[in-house]
Amino acid sequence: MDVSQYLEVFIDETNEHLQNLNTSILDLEQNPDNMDTVNEIFRAAHSLKGMAGTMGYKRMQDLTHAMENVFSKVRDGEIKVNSAMIDTIFQCLDAIQEYLDNIQGGGDEGTNDNAAIIKSLNGFLSGESAPAAEAEESTAAPTAESASAGSSDGKDKWKDIKLTEEQVDVIEAAKKDGKKVVGLTVFVQEACILKSARAFLVFKALEELGEIIVSVPSTQDIEDERFDFEFSVILITDSDVETAINAAKGVSEIEDAVGGYVEEATVADDKAEVAVAADAADTVEENKNVPAAPAHDGAGKPTAEKKKPVVNRTVRVDIEKLDDLMNLVSELITAKNSLVSAATADNESANDVGEHIEYLENVTTSLHESVMKVRMVPIESVVNKFPRMIRDLQKKLGKKMELYMTGEETELDRTVVDEIGDPLMHLLRNSADHGIESDVALRKERGKPEEGSIFLDAYQDGNNVVIEVRDDGNGIDVEAVKRKALERGTITEEQANQMSDKEIINLLFLPSFSTAKVVSDISGRGVGLDVVKSKIESLSGEVDVKSQLGVGSTWTIRLPLTLAIIQSLMVIVGDEKYAIPLGNIQTIESIRPDEVKAVQQKEVINLRGNIIPIIRLNEILDCQSAKAEDEDLVVVIVKKGDKQAGLVIDELTGQQEIVIKSLGKYIQRSKVISGATILGNGEVALIIDPNALI
Amino acid sequence: MDEVKIYSEAVQYIKIEMGTEMFGIDISYVDNIVRPQHVTRVPNVASYIKGVINIRGEIIPIMSLRLKMGLEEIEESKSTRFIIIKMEKYGKIGLIVDAVKEVVALEDNQIERVKVDTSEEIAHFVSGVGKVDGVLVSLLDLDMVVMEKSAKEE
Repeated sequence: MDVSQYLEVFIDETNEHLQNLNTSILDLEQNPDNMDTVNEIFRAAHSLKGMAGTMGYKRMQDLTHAMENVFSKVRDGEIKVNSAMIDTIFQCLDAIQEYLDNIQGGGDEGTNDNAAIIKSLNGFLSGESAPAAEAEESTAAPTAESASAGSSDGKDKWKDIKLTEEQVDVIEAAKKDGKKVVGLTVFVQEACILKSARAFLVFKALEELGEIIVSVPSTQDIEDERFDFEFSVILITDSDVETAINAAKGVSEIEDAVGGYVEEATVADDKAEVAVAADAADTVEENKNVPAAPAHDGAGKPTAEKKKPVVNRTVRVDIEKLDDLMNLVSELITAKNSLVSAATADNESANDVGEHIEYLENVTTSLHESVMKVRMVPIESVVNKFPRMIRDLQKKLGKKMELYMTGEETELDRTVVDEIGDPLMHLLRNSADHGIESDVALRKERGKPEEGSIFLDAYQDGNNVVIEVRDDGNGIDVEAVKRKALERGTITEEQANQMSDKEIINLLFLPSFSTAKVVSDISGRGVGLDVVKSKIESLSGEVDVKSQLGVGSTWTIRLPLTLAIIQSLMVIVGDEKYAIPLGNIQTIESIRPDEVKAVQQKEVINLRGNIIPIIRLNEILDCQSAKAEDEDLVVVIVKKGDKQAGLVIDELTGQQEIVIKSLGKYIQRSKVISGATILGNGEVALIIDPNALI
Repeated sequence: MDEVKIYSEAVQYIKIEMGTEMFGIDISYVDNIVRPQHVTRVPNVASYIKGVINIRGEIIPIMSLRLKMGLEEIEESKSTRFIIIKMEKYGKIGLIVDAVKEVVALEDNQIERVKVDTSEEIAHFVSGVGKVDGVLVSLLDLDMVVMEKSAKEE
């Protein structure tokens, strides 16, 4: 069975189930008696086990199986949920996550058996119902063993066929109808060249007698010649065994066929286990068809040959969004057709062309919006893991705190959502570790409740999405930061005196700057905030912090809705066209040349009381300005956080929606150019990144 | 380009003209050959990179083969072409050449694997010399051609 095509679905769904489990178990911790939650957990655990089994990830399956057992007992009211159990379950989820990460990374689940977790999971069972647990635990292995034992000495391999519940039902029904159920193992001559063709003929002959309900290997594998020299089937027929055997032997190049009646049809534990048990038994050859199955015969061998499966990143799209797209495309075709007819018709209708173009414009704009929507996913998928994280931190740090989240449904571009998790996690850890006061008395003194609060709020603000991480903790001690910076020589005494509180706080974003007195494994190694900042900036976003000592801090992340298409201002510098993203632009000013003053060898302008440095783009871009020196300057005021700068350009040509394209790997582009876009006439215009200029 | 000779085992080269010499580019690297079009300059890059162009929605850097090989730059003429090559490491790159002549096939024994005694600079970029109808064709080593620096500068 080739499962690689399902890998993506598997990864997606496992992630989803894990997330569900995490959320539900947090829930369960609060309300241990909620049966709905327990049922939900049980279902998720069960699906996980089934999926892992089908994909051949044995270790993952074993672990989920143990977890499922625990919840099965909980569901039946045989054991009670306690906090030790919750902890173990969380460990178990982490372990599953690890398997999943391995699978995603290399296509193999890894070799960690996590026996300790399984053991402690089973421990919860044995507390009150040891025999039952034991029995259930052992079902898979012995059947596999007995199967191999049975088949090694006899030819009746059909006896080893594992049946699913449905198949058993079919067999039972057939027996009731007075039909015979015949098991058959057919051996093909080893010299046979077209094994699958022979097998096909056997199947055909048998199907004339009755109905084949199971075959091992599966018919698909047999068709693909993925079997050794024998295969087994179970046949429901009116004829007897001899007829069936003779029918099989009647096909040329068939060496032998053995068979008998199926007396008792028993169900294998679970459909998923059928596959694995069969693998584990004796059909070693089959293992190469299940590349990911780490079966007993050296898991490395089959996987090593296989190339690492590349896991594509996928977006699940609401079917409605797709319908919208489809509608728009049909409108686009209509618009094109009306243009065509307008172009071929005589002059009378020539006036309509403008109208048609307007229509076309409408359609393309809507189309663009719809496509953007398809790329958008709620940040839910990322932030959902945070309550669990805060819970763990709470235990680790011994502080009481609660995470309040709003706006999980806020949507962002998939690429951004993927990247935003780590920075957010870091900020939250920061708040938990450094923000919330460890000293409860101090909190009381400050008039705050004993339990610390951390807030994560997300909302859309125009073309941006804002995510705020807020805590009611200690806030940033500006003096401490200043001292630290002086100590490290980051700034001089003189600079320190001139710096505003805000500037000092911003020092925290410098690489390797941590004020934590004690380095903990949660945060405080100083590799954090600068990484957060650079990550956010790589997503064309910005991060900002406001803090008040003793009251708390607020970290604000501002991200553009999408990265692929932006509104931009088209400008001309020299004889070249450039695009400046509109999101960065504040105003556009016309400045007389004599208003430009020099301060510390830098050109600045005084704009309504604000001193703003100006940057002559023609110098940065290494080209000649087409303007005379005494002409008024066109200055585009751009901002980055609180900082502003004026970009001097030659001319404005207007606003345009542009599609961002990469310049490719070959050109070592300067930081100022963030990409390129294709203009209406097919020429390329470069996109200026104002963030790199300020 | 109408006369294309195909031999078994032979490698096909696109014969190009640069000044007075003939060069060959392994056809398996060639993605496309286009007429010159507007090149958008990219600031602060090596002088031989003339900028970027758009080919069917893809942004492709363009380099001057003349500048890279230390030859004098010349005005674009009617025969100037951009040869778009595809390198595994860098993706597509366009080379500006004086003229594209024809496709020639050279068998291994027709190629002399020695460094040639052309002008110093060019020698770095040549992997061998083939002889086609009495004319010498220097075969370009594209990895060297697209590399950051010429061997001499290092």
